[in-house]
Amino acid sequence: MGWKAIHRWLGLIVGGLALVLGLTGAVLSVDPVQQAWQAPAASADVSVAALAERVQRAMPGVEEIRRLPSGAIVAHGLVGEQPTASYVGPDTGRALGDHRPSRLPRWVKNLHRSLLLGDAGRWIAAGIALAMAVISFSGLVLLLRRMGGWRRLAGRVRGSPAQRLHVGVGRAVLAVLCLSSLTALFMSATTLELVRLDADSEPDVASVAHGPAELPVARLPALQGLAVQDLRELRFPSAADPEDVWQVTTDRGHGWIDRYSGETLAWRDATVAQRMYDFAVALHTGESAWPWAVVLGLAGASLVPLWLSGVLVWWRGYRQAVRITGNRPLAQADVLIFVASEGGSTWGFAQALHDALARCGHRVHTSGLEHFRTTAATRQVFVLAATHGEGQAPTHAAAALERIACNAGPRVPVAVLGFGDRQYPAFCAFAHALEQTLRAGGWPALLPLECIHRQSSQQFALWGEAVAQALGEPLVLNHVPHVPASATLTLVSRRDYPGPADRPTAILRFRWPRVSWRDRLRGRGLARFEAGDLLGIVPPGADVPRYYSLASGAEDGFAEICVRRWPGGLCSTHLHGLQPGDTIQAFIRPNPGFALRGAQRPVVLIGAGTGVAPLAGMIRRNDRRIPMHLYYGARNPELDFYFEPEVLRWLHEQRLASVRTAFSRVPGGGYVQDVLRRDAAQLRELLRSGAFVRVCGSRPMARSVAETLNEILASMQLSVQQLKAKGRYAEDVF
Amino acid sequence: MSKSLLAIVAVAGALTAPAMAHGRQLTLTTQLADYGGDGAYLAVYLTDAKGAYVRTLWVAGGKAKYYKHLAHWNRLSAGDAKRLDGVTGASVGAGRSLEVTADLADALIDAGYEIRIDAAAEDMRDSPSEIRVPLSARNAGKPQSGKQYIRSLTYRLQ
Repeated sequence: MGWKAIHRWLGLIVGGLALVLGLTGAVLSVDPVQQAWQAPAASADVSVAALAERVQRAMPGVEEIRRLPSGAIVAHGLVGEQPTASYVGPDTGRALGDHRPSRLPRWVKNLHRSLLLGDAGRWIAAGIALAMAVISFSGLVLLLRRMGGWRRLAGRVRGSPAQRLHVGVGRAVLAVLCLSSLTALFMSATTLELVRLDADSEPDVASVAHGPAELPVARLPALQGLAVQDLRELRFPSAADPEDVWQVTTDRGHGWIDRYSGETLAWRDATVAQRMYDFAVALHTGESAWPWAVVLGLAGASLVPLWLSGVLVWWRGYRQAVRITGNRPLAQADVLIFVASEGGSTWGFAQALHDALARCGHRVHTSGLEHFRTTAATRQVFVLAATHGEGQAPTHAAAALERIACNAGPRVPVAVLGFGDRQYPAFCAFAHALEQTLRAGGWPALLPLECIHRQSSQQFALWGEAVAQALGEPLVLNHVPHVPASATLTLVSRRDYPGPADRPTAILRFRWPRVSWRDRLRGRGLARFEAGDLLGIVPPGADVPRYYSLASGAEDGFAEICVRRWPGGLCSTHLHGLQPGDTIQAFIRPNPGFALRGAQRPVVLIGAGTGVAPLAGMIRRNDRRIPMHLYYGARNPELDFYFEPEVLRWLHEQRLASVRTAFSRVPGGGYVQDVLRRDAAQLRELLRSGAFVRVCGSRPMARSVAETLNEILASMQLSVQQLKAKGRYAEDVF
Repeated sequence: MSKSLLAIVAVAGALTAPAMAHGRQLTLTTQLADYGGDGAYLAVYLTDAKGAYVRTLWVAGGKAKYYKHLAHWNRLSAGDAKRLDGVTGASVGAGRSLEVTADLADALIDAGYEIRIDAAAEDMRDSPSEIRVPLSARNAGKPQSGKQYIRSLTYRLQ
């Protein structure tokens, strides 16, 4: 069982209970803060003897003086018949106010340490602490794997919102949670008597009267030499028992003092276990340092987002996991498919390929890449490989490269298909590594390496055509992705642009239905979205959704997309046929890493054609007036200058700091890259000050923009690759 | 609602064994006050006329790490290796009561012996010698109150 399985199952099973301990812990952390706020500050430059003498004078019934972890001094005793506890000033010995140990109900603490179940509950709580320690440690291992090592630990987190939340919160509180669990384990061990704190018994001591009277406390030598800041507790001898003794406890140990002679009758050093216990309590409760208690409280409360996001991440993976149907045994199969997938989505593509090959009469065996091998029956091999983190292999296939390198089986043609996300600097790096290892190992290529961006079904179908050609068979790949629950959107307005030739464009604005929070919790209706996220639409007569970049956010109250009609395009033709009042079914697909969430720095927006749409949405919601610079590429201002009136208005409203346009089909015009080159000096300045870059347009356009920027940035020893790694540069290409 | 805990204390030790024939049964009822804390640890024990420890009648509360908070008992009984034999039970919640029975030799009654209880509760002040009651026929049946934790202590001799 790997770290991931340990982390997941412990988290799912014990997480709910850990949540109870975390939340009660967070409530308990209020105590030290409140105590520190309530307790009078004690100047501690006094001896215990002097303090006890002053307190005794001011409060004759005093029986015990304690120095609290917060530093405040509390005297316990009887006033008349009434037991009291008061803060006392060390300078005067006078009562400063009532001391109440805690304002929290007792059950909070008992729930925290024993789930209100007595000793059985303490064992359970200790088990939860142990599980938390293992969850924290396995979390660290997974975190390092995901981020690509210690050095990148603080780097930008990528993935779905739930993953980002889980990783982001996790790395912030991991160390504190680990410390909390380990100290809790030690504290449980002492309470459950697995670790003994004290020596077995106390010394048999008694005060022996040999003079007329007992020694006043101020003249007890042992207390004269003890500073108040070292004191924990001083217990006065009982007035009714002439043989009773003074008892003093410090951090170092416990002493018994004769009330007549002032002699120290016995001294026991605190055991190592006791000192460790004291330290563990201080670390676990924060009782002696309230800022630490605040940190502990936040870490406890953080279990809520951690657990919820963890469950969500697991649930999504579970829902997406595909179990291959119609799998043939390895030894009989003539076609083998090996899959490497972190989240599980690649298995869906494998199933589609599996089914298509089986329909052509092949005996197909599909399995995880960690089982890579070929047999005498094997004719072709397909490897479908996703990339995890910063270019690593998915966890289950971590040792696959070595396994392939060592494989001595028959060399049959292999095709590698990579899955990844272009926003990651190491796009499909693992697939590339596989391809290299296979070629170096003498495996002929059935097809050149192909990389699928963001699970694009269209791209997958195209690759299927290449497979069909290579095999000489009528193979059709039909991958039906999991389509999320969709909502009904009503078209409210459209603006038409003639566009070039037979490719008109329309900006379509749909009313975004407000979703009640109850429906939202149940996963109904549209998720919240921002400009740059994607609107998924399944056109009638198809089952693969098409995605359009959103030119608005949920805050705008509408969903706007910019659609160019392609000849024969099923979805774009359908959308172009819509009139106000017509409806479509749609869902939101987050575009993490591209949407600008809370950027503080200047932003350089580079778009061409309909790619300007998401950028326009970002400018529209630039309420904080962050300097945004738009580079806009189109063909002809008469035909395809989308959002022209808005761009001019946004300039006026200072939502947009500057705009540079390039029109390629007018005399003297050019491409957006040409404008970038002309503005090289300003761009260098912006990027030096930490600006973000968003690029949206066709793939060739994005590639030439990246090349142009690399030329511009070369003199600064900076590259697009580096900016991507820092999460400052993101592309949305189509 | 108060729930009684019945404790039957076995006769043990050389002191009481010879006097068995003339033994009396002591029944001790301790009613705790609503002091507003977790269950109290109580040590019920007997001292002689000189204040020396005689034997432990009952210890409520099972965790040895807290026994140091029952300071007088813990100190006085340090030499008694069998102080916990057969005389321990659960801690006693605030407002609840504890009933302890023990067989005592006749010679202990009206001879200067004292019943003492040390009490402590978590995060609250320790109360060593929370209550001290002379063991006499005259005191039997008369409720006595403790300092902080014990609302009333009554014993009967049979």
